[in-house]
Amino acid sequence: MSIQSSNDNDEKIQSALMAVLSSFWHEFKANRGALYGLIFISILAFVAIFADLVAPYSPIEQYRDFLKLPPIWVDGGNWDFLLGTDALGRDQLSRIIHGSRYSFYIGFIVIFFCLTIGIFLGLVAAFNKGYVDTFIMRAMDIILAFPSLLMALALVAILGPSLENAMIAIAVVYIPHFVRLTRAQALSELGKDYVSSSKTMGASSTRLMFINVLPNCMAPLIVQATMSFSSAILDAAALGFLGMGAQPPTPEWGTMLADSRQYITSDPWLMGIPGLFILVTVLSINLVGDGLRDALDPKMKSNK
Amino acid sequence: MLRFILQRLAVLIPTFIGITLTAFIFIHLIPGDPIEVMAGERGVSPEKYAELLHAFGLDQPLWKQYLDYIWQLLHGDLGKSFVTKQPVIEEFFKLFPATIELSLSALIFAIVLGIPAGIIAAVKRGSIFDHSLMTLSLTGFSMPMFWWALLLIVTFSGTLGWTPVSGRISVMYFFDNVTGFLLIDSWLSGQPGAFKSAVSHLILPTIALGTIPLATFARQTRSAMLETMGEDFIKTARAKGLSPFRVTVLHAFRNALIPIITVIGLQVGVLLGGAILTETIFSWPGIGKWMVDSIFRRDYAVVQGGLILIATMVITVNLTVDILYGLIDPRIRKKGH
Repeated sequence: MSIQSSNDNDEKIQSALMAVLSSFWHEFKANRGALYGLIFISILAFVAIFADLVAPYSPIEQYRDFLKLPPIWVDGGNWDFLLGTDALGRDQLSRIIHGSRYSFYIGFIVIFFCLTIGIFLGLVAAFNKGYVDTFIMRAMDIILAFPSLLMALALVAILGPSLENAMIAIAVVYIPHFVRLTRAQALSELGKDYVSSSKTMGASSTRLMFINVLPNCMAPLIVQATMSFSSAILDAAALGFLGMGAQPPTPEWGTMLADSRQYITSDPWLMGIPGLFILVTVLSINLVGDGLRDALDPKMKSNK
Repeated sequence: MLRFILQRLAVLIPTFIGITLTAFIFIHLIPGDPIEVMAGERGVSPEKYAELLHAFGLDQPLWKQYLDYIWQLLHGDLGKSFVTKQPVIEEFFKLFPATIELSLSALIFAIVLGIPAGIIAAVKRGSIFDHSLMTLSLTGFSMPMFWWALLLIVTFSGTLGWTPVSGRISVMYFFDNVTGFLLIDSWLSGQPGAFKSAVSHLILPTIALGTIPLATFARQTRSAMLETMGEDFIKTARAKGLSPFRVTVLHAFRNALIPIITVIGLQVGVLLGGAILTETIFSWPGIGKWMVDSIFRRDYAVVQGGLILIATMVITVNLTVDILYGLIDPRIRKKGH
């Protein structure tokens, strides 16, 4: 009898979950831009995962007979190199394809650090009003007082220029936003009845933090994470462009742009193509972020 | 009100101490020996090394170095550049007008275009204008700024030859440095062509730096306008038969101003950060380029002093915005958070 009812319950929960998901998808789909963004990101993710199979050449192989070949739609293009070659004769298309891996790598690592550290500090601050809260929030104020790119540059100067250090620096700069957001959300949840009743039932503060409060804070955090994903790609590219991110011959898009800077007037497509890919990728992620915001949280709806 | 301001100021003191501590620790974590950097490639004898170490106070324990630094800082002394041997504070104020000129110009560009565009989009909600503006602004928001700057250079300086590639003014003009703002100084000098040269140098960096704020202002103005335009007092104003212009500008826009001012205040940090890339690409002799060059040259005294000055500027602007709120909206003052 009791087994029967718990099965019933499971089914109920499952169908409720399905209803939530399908209404979420319905909302998300209604936003045309978000859908296009999602399609582009999916294709790019596929290309990134199977880069070794999709890319026609190795990203670092130099074809010395084909230097600075223009892309196929420009006079002098060669069908063997669809997007042309760079100053060292490396196939641009293969470099772009392999470079997409770095963009996802950067985005995921940065938001992983931001979410774990940011949520932890935010919850700790919200649950420990007083000295702990003040200390954490003042520390975040201090990080926020420095313009993010400047702070990241200084951090990379300390750690040494590399893609990994650039990612750490970017994560440090973004964490305060996650801490503030988590704290604000958690504080507004803490006053609600379900938290007080959990507390009366004797729930430990760890349980309150992670099992009760956190799931209800997730919607804005997911939106913030999506937006940070795209900003991280932009900032990593900017650091790469300044020579403080990924180092040559890594086919990271910002580094590719920096390499092509001396040819901007003679061979503009060398910098045009990687830049365009950064733009479209970041734009797609931002479109998805907009769609998520509208679908997840009607309160934050951007008045579409 | 005074109590509110004092409260805000009190919060600022630990933040300021934190900023100086952060900058100080940063510099001491950077690998490489500052004395060797100063000595350059010729190297330095052990006696001279010890002498320099002592002269810069680098032989003291760290906490002593920090306290000495704070003591000097309170007297307006941020040390001397390892490379140029000039006081950091002097260099900062020499380059500061260039950054202010560029940032203000970018801010004005963004406000003048972004706010009206946002208002029109909100009024003509759902129209082609609205949709294109939202698409364009999201594109601007997603733009890698250094790439955008290079595109502008290729198009307007390279292909069309309309604007100069870099610098603040053509080298053929010499005039007295009165304010440090070249637009004003060149105007005062009365030399034919000088003002025009200064303006033409300013155009591309302004567009490059102003694009992201422009996109942000357009989006925020639109959503703030849509929010106020749904409220009852707007319906009343319409029902009273006021002209659509009066309703939009005098009633709706005035009430949408608070969120818009917030966003403008927040852009100050963005502009200072953006100045790093813009100034580097356009060889604009301002604070951003100075900081990047100093990081690459390992000029620690400059990096340390520059970080403190810039961060102090950001928290001062934030404080001003906070106080402005308190003035505009008594509810914020009362809450006293």
